[in-house]
Amino acid sequence: MSDRSTHRLATAGVALGSLILLGLLVLPVGALVLRGGVEGVRQLGSDPELRASLSLTAVTATAATLATVLLGTPLAWLLARGRMPAVVVVSALLDLPLLIPHPVAGIALLLAFGRASPVGGALERAGLALVGSPFAIALAMFFVAAPLYVSAAREAIARVDPRYEGVARTLGDSPWRAAWRVTRPLAGRGLLAAAVVMWARAVSEFGAIVILTYNPKVASVLSYDRFTSFGLDAALPVSAVLVLLALVPLLVLRSLRARSALGEPAR
Amino acid sequence: MIETRALGARAGTFVLHDVSFLLPRGAWGIVLGPAGAGKTTLLETIAGVRRANVGQVLLRNADATHDAPERRGLGIVYQHGYLFPHLSVEENICYGTRDRAYAASVADRLGAAPLLGRSVADLSGGERQVVALARALAPRPDILLLDEPFAALDPRRRTRVRRELHAMQREMELTVLQVTHDFAEAGTLGDLAMLVEGGRLVQAAPPTQLFRRPATAAAAEFLGAENVFAGTAEPIARGAEAGLDTVRFRAGALTLIAVGEYAGSRSHAVIRGEDVVLARIRPGPSSARNVLEGTVVEVAIVGSLARVTLDVCGVPLVASLTTGSVSELGLATGVAVVATVKATAVHLC
Repeated sequence: MSDRSTHRLATAGVALGSLILLGLLVLPVGALVLRGGVEGVRQLGSDPELRASLSLTAVTATAATLATVLLGTPLAWLLARGRMPAVVVVSALLDLPLLIPHPVAGIALLLAFGRASPVGGALERAGLALVGSPFAIALAMFFVAAPLYVSAAREAIARVDPRYEGVARTLGDSPWRAAWRVTRPLAGRGLLAAAVVMWARAVSEFGAIVILTYNPKVASVLSYDRFTSFGLDAALPVSAVLVLLALVPLLVLRSLRARSALGEPAR
Repeated sequence: MIETRALGARAGTFVLHDVSFLLPRGAWGIVLGPAGAGKTTLLETIAGVRRANVGQVLLRNADATHDAPERRGLGIVYQHGYLFPHLSVEENICYGTRDRAYAASVADRLGAAPLLGRSVADLSGGERQVVALARALAPRPDILLLDEPFAALDPRRRTRVRRELHAMQREMELTVLQVTHDFAEAGTLGDLAMLVEGGRLVQAAPPTQLFRRPATAAAAEFLGAENVFAGTAEPIARGAEAGLDTVRFRAGALTLIAVGEYAGSRSHAVIRGEDVVLARIRPGPSSARNVLEGTVVEVAIVGSLARVTLDVCGVPLVASLTTGSVSELGLATGVAVVATVKATAVHLC
């Protein structure tokens, strides 16, 4: 067989493989949106439970993301700049929530923050019952999605040459002030992208949340609840709206990446 | 004042070893060395942006080894400027100071005033360096660390900025430590020149001494000495003082008489091209101890100077002459000439 024929065959093979992969990814989601999308959007106006559920999902995901940005950005900076002792251990600990099944994550959270735990008990005595509250939802989202943010933020910060910080420090900045005044804006787009990924992951979480808080229901739990209680047709509109909600951060992310690719300076 | 004592630092796999020197207050130090020698690492360790893992850094006679960079009161300028791209030129220059009027005056003196309204992204490499210099000087440091700060400037602007910076250094009694690859710059500006190679300080001396009496053959070659011969030395007469021994040096069929310190039989002899005098006929009696007969094998013209390579007993010897001398002597390939070199111009290392 000639080189030209081999090349054509290989190209056709790659194209076919890509089509199969894309088909497997797009087909289920496309079918869901096609069958339930219009009804889902219509139900947004008539179904207060769906609206409340979406609102709860967005609020808790946003709260978890904000908390992660607040707590995770300094940690990502320490990791990126090699200023963290036992960096390998810390990195492994951060990756752990990504590796365990999410219902297991929910059980672990229940053990740590449930009524029977010292922390959960103390919170309940203080009037804050964690399990069954929106706080627990945000906590579950935080647990499963924060590692994604820290990892992506670390990469975004590592891409900023540390000499910028070095120069800022010779000009009078403390390490944190240099990080705030120089690295944060230079890594800004990467940090925003990391936050968007985290938010999207938080919105789609089910396994850990359903263990900690079945009610009030976030969108993923509502979708599951309607499927198990009323069947596929009842679950379709909620599921389709959840997919549409997930599309928003995806579009934001793609837009950020496209702008970066165009070479616009990070501000 | 900058002093380092047995300073060592790490930059990835690169290691800076045992660097000791003293640069007095108000002096201009030059750091020379091949790419990857550790020049930038040395500057960064003095600035404190890189941690010293051994030794000491003393600034203004006080130990600053463990001081944070922001407490060291110095400025650093990198070759690439490292201007903050999210800030304007003016914001960059004023980054480390609240005295905007002073920052503007520094920018004006360095010729950066017309750039103030510009975006950093629109600046050329040379403009970036000028802005970076102004930014480093605006907080009024008394120590300035420069990593090839003039490399990207066009010749005209380079002369102007260098002159202005020199004037500011004298006015403000700035202690400057500058990395450069420009030997002329080292000779013009430097009070102390340091040669760094492989992470070690090979030699620290006034520039004239560094160029004329390099510590090693490798240093001599890096510093542009045209003639570096490996051979053997034997003392003919011991001098009354160190460095005044009369030594016979042999490299193949070439024999040279040198005045210097005899430090063992295995040695190198260094002769700068401008110390080799050429004539068409053997001169009469003179004080020059080395009179060598040879044949011209190459004449290379570089601007107003010529580099004439001779074959002396099978050993190449290079002389630097003016093009006028070349034409007056009628030097061309194959012409027989006599080269004379004073014994004091033969440096042994």
